[in-house]
Amino acid sequence: MNGLWRRRLWRALLSLGVLAVLYGIASQIGSALLPRRIWMVAHYIEDVELLPPYASLLEEAVFLVKSGILPRSILVSTARVLEGLALGAAVGVPLGLSMARVARLEWLLDPWVTFFRFTPALALLPLYALWFGLGELSKILLIATAVAVVTLLGAYQGVRDVPRVYLEAAKSLGASDGLILRKIVWPAALPQILSSVRIALGLAWVTVVVAELIKATMPSLGYLLALAGAYPRVSTIAVGIVTIGVLVLACDAAALGLYAMATRWMKRSPADA
Amino acid sequence: MRLDDAARPPKARRVWLGLASVVALVAAYTLLSNAYRVVDPSLLPDPLRGLLRPQILPPTQRIVDAFVQLVGAGAPLAGGADLHPGDHIGGLVEQRVTLQGSLLVSTYRVLIGLAVGGSLGILAGLLMGWSRAVDEYVHPIYILFRSVPPLALITYVMLWLGHGTAHLLIPIIYAVFATVVIPTYHGVRDVADVYVKAARALGAGGRLLLSRVMLPAASPFVLAGLRYALVIAWMTTVGVEMLMGDDGVGYLLIGGGLWSSRLEVAGDPAVIVVGIVGLALVGYAMDVGVRVAGDRLTQWVKR
Repeated sequence: MNGLWRRRLWRALLSLGVLAVLYGIASQIGSALLPRRIWMVAHYIEDVELLPPYASLLEEAVFLVKSGILPRSILVSTARVLEGLALGAAVGVPLGLSMARVARLEWLLDPWVTFFRFTPALALLPLYALWFGLGELSKILLIATAVAVVTLLGAYQGVRDVPRVYLEAAKSLGASDGLILRKIVWPAALPQILSSVRIALGLAWVTVVVAELIKATMPSLGYLLALAGAYPRVSTIAVGIVTIGVLVLACDAAALGLYAMATRWMKRSPADA
Repeated sequence: MRLDDAARPPKARRVWLGLASVVALVAAYTLLSNAYRVVDPSLLPDPLRGLLRPQILPPTQRIVDAFVQLVGAGAPLAGGADLHPGDHIGGLVEQRVTLQGSLLVSTYRVLIGLAVGGSLGILAGLLMGWSRAVDEYVHPIYILFRSVPPLALITYVMLWLGHGTAHLLIPIIYAVFATVVIPTYHGVRDVADVYVKAARALGAGGRLLLSRVMLPAASPFVLAGLRYALVIAWMTTVGVEMLMGDDGVGYLLIGGGLWSSRLEVAGDPAVIVVGIVGLALVGYAMDVGVRVAGDRLTQWVKR
């Protein structure tokens, strides 16, 4: 097993390394061949590096970190994602759980859940901007909406998939509804809830980037991208994209870790999620 | 407590209750949004004063008006309200933007995304699930790319492809691709594997194995992935159109302008609501389409 993992790791490093080297070569060749003048909207822009070499990427990254722009942007955007996630899950999960257990509630809410499920959350952005202003509130509520829909469906499906035998057995042994909820429904639905949280987290990042691209105040990752795109400074865009990628990866790993921890007793591999 | 299916009241009541909740909420909204006619909003306490204005909560009849306007491209208004080329709906009507036209353009983008991104994603998922070596080399690169939200790429893609319409498609294709790979991969690796081993043991190989064993076994997973990709594709399409499109529903929702100035055009909530309802309906219809087609394709799964 150990040998297998070592080979996996080795191959992963090898392919990532090859990719990195290829990019290095391409950016070197590109700096000679690619046009540096670019037509944008109404005028030409000079001195664009379409494939910025590592040196200018590094220079840009150092500048963005030293000036404090990047760290502050990371903090602001991550805070928005986490606040939206917490708010959305706090609404979505209880609602999904109760919809799965109370048929009448399910029927009442069903049309609205379907409506929100097929409404791209980003389409709500102009409406939220109108209602809640262009500031913090509308962005967090937008993320929360996207998260709530996904976690609601996850929680609902999680409860509906609980084997009926469990419930009937507990019922016939005289367990109260509260006990059944705590001891059977919740643990059995938890894996699905957590994997829906993981999906929601990815969605939250998509949402925050666009919300910030469209209207944002300075330190935030989306705004960094928008600003860099307006100049345009490709090395800044690249650093921004890589930063977002790393953050998404880290969030995903954290969600996966949480999933693995919470479902350790099930002896299930997290890859099944 | 989860109810027994026998204990559930008949389906008719379910439909009835759902309908009742829709009607009740629409009625409540109509009353609330027309409250400004009865009470002077400026007398109300703060959050209400801001909200109970027709510019914020459009009365239901104004939403219907906007719908008629956007579908008929400037049909005369029943309500008698004036059209200004400077405001949201007036601008759209002047540019001959219709709801159905915008939905059609966006649907077209979504379909291109699904066709191109979906086939690339299925191919990648098949290869990764099929061969362990490919999986071990390619998976890390896939994870690397998957982590980047597609819409974050748009500023960069635009520099390469210019301000045409092609660069709008790249994030959509990319998003669908990234979504479809994993379900396909798991379908092939985890589920099809058993059947593949059995078929191999019985002497099947090559093309037969692929077309008769692996693809059918993985297809329920691929279809589930495509259904999710549909939602993601719509999300991305609306996002790129809001950011950079000159047409499509995203453009209809925002109503013009460029970049960060886009939201400074005072949006008309009635137009936005009409756009959102249109999006939800088309998204729902497409999901039903995929589901029905999927059920026919995977009939054999039913045990």
